[in-house]
Amino acid sequence: MLQIALYFALLSLVSMGGMPSVMPEMQRVVVDVQGWMSAAEFTQLFAIAQAAPGPNVLVTALIGWKVAGFTGGMVALGAFCGPAAALAYSIGGFWDRMRDAPWRKTFQRALVPVTVGFIVSGGYVLATPAGLEWRSVLIAGAAAALLVLSRLNPLWILSGGGVLGYLLF
Amino acid sequence: MVEERRWLAPGDFAEVLALCQFLPGPNVGNVSVVLGRRWFGLRGAVVAFVGLMALPLAWVFGLALLYADFSSHAEVRAVVTGVGIAGGGLFVGTAVKLSKALVRKPWALALAVACFAALALGRVSLFQVLPVALVLGWLLARRNLA
Repeated sequence: MLQIALYFALLSLVSMGGMPSVMPEMQRVVVDVQGWMSAAEFTQLFAIAQAAPGPNVLVTALIGWKVAGFTGGMVALGAFCGPAAALAYSIGGFWDRMRDAPWRKTFQRALVPVTVGFIVSGGYVLATPAGLEWRSVLIAGAAAALLVLSRLNPLWILSGGGVLGYLLF
Repeated sequence: MVEERRWLAPGDFAEVLALCQFLPGPNVGNVSVVLGRRWFGLRGAVVAFVGLMALPLAWVFGLALLYADFSSHAEVRAVVTGVGIAGGGLFVGTAVKLSKALVRKPWALALAVACFAALALGRVSLFQVLPVALVLGWLLARRNLA
């Protein structure tokens, strides 16, 4: 449990752009390095967190819960939110004062390509729990296309994924 | 908060949101902390954060317990897997939307692709990729290539 707490606290501080950007790293450590669960189980836990109302950081609570029970869940969530929240608390005023500083704009532009690469990676590892195979590509591709091209509520897209999952797997 | 309660102006809300998207950590969690602090200090920040998380947390655990009961059924597993894969697809869609800012910036796009190759395909640790990617991104942004 201590391992989870320390690791999630560390992830918390590098999760620029939010939860999605650390998803690949979280999956790599939980599945590949520690072997706490299979890639399929990881994707399923993520599905539960996505389908429930509320922020998707709650998947950290589910990972902790799976590994070390209810207490583990609370510890994981706290560890993931705490350091970042403390930073947000202390930096809020400073950031407002730096509104027109040129380095802030440069930094924000620098972050865009990096964040894009990280988020695609997160989507990729979540969508391919059984490797790159046609059913996963179909469902994930359709979901991505609908999000970009239509104004459909994401919950409908997730529901559609559930229906396709039922039919295909 | 903006439309019904008028606690803050739309522009102000956008500003806070922009900060919190850029800061590490969950965006909505950070918004609650920054706004809670602004209005009520430290106590406000804590209360806002707990208030935001408590109910969804109960939901998520409820669903997870329910799922634990039914996960032995292959059909249930198939549906939940489908939802998870679609969720991964939503991430990809979000990234595509973000990358519209990069259309005329081939170097920035190349950096995004390199990050993907290292993280998703190469399975390199984020803690090795991030510093390199940030330095490269910074250099590109300085030369207006990102």
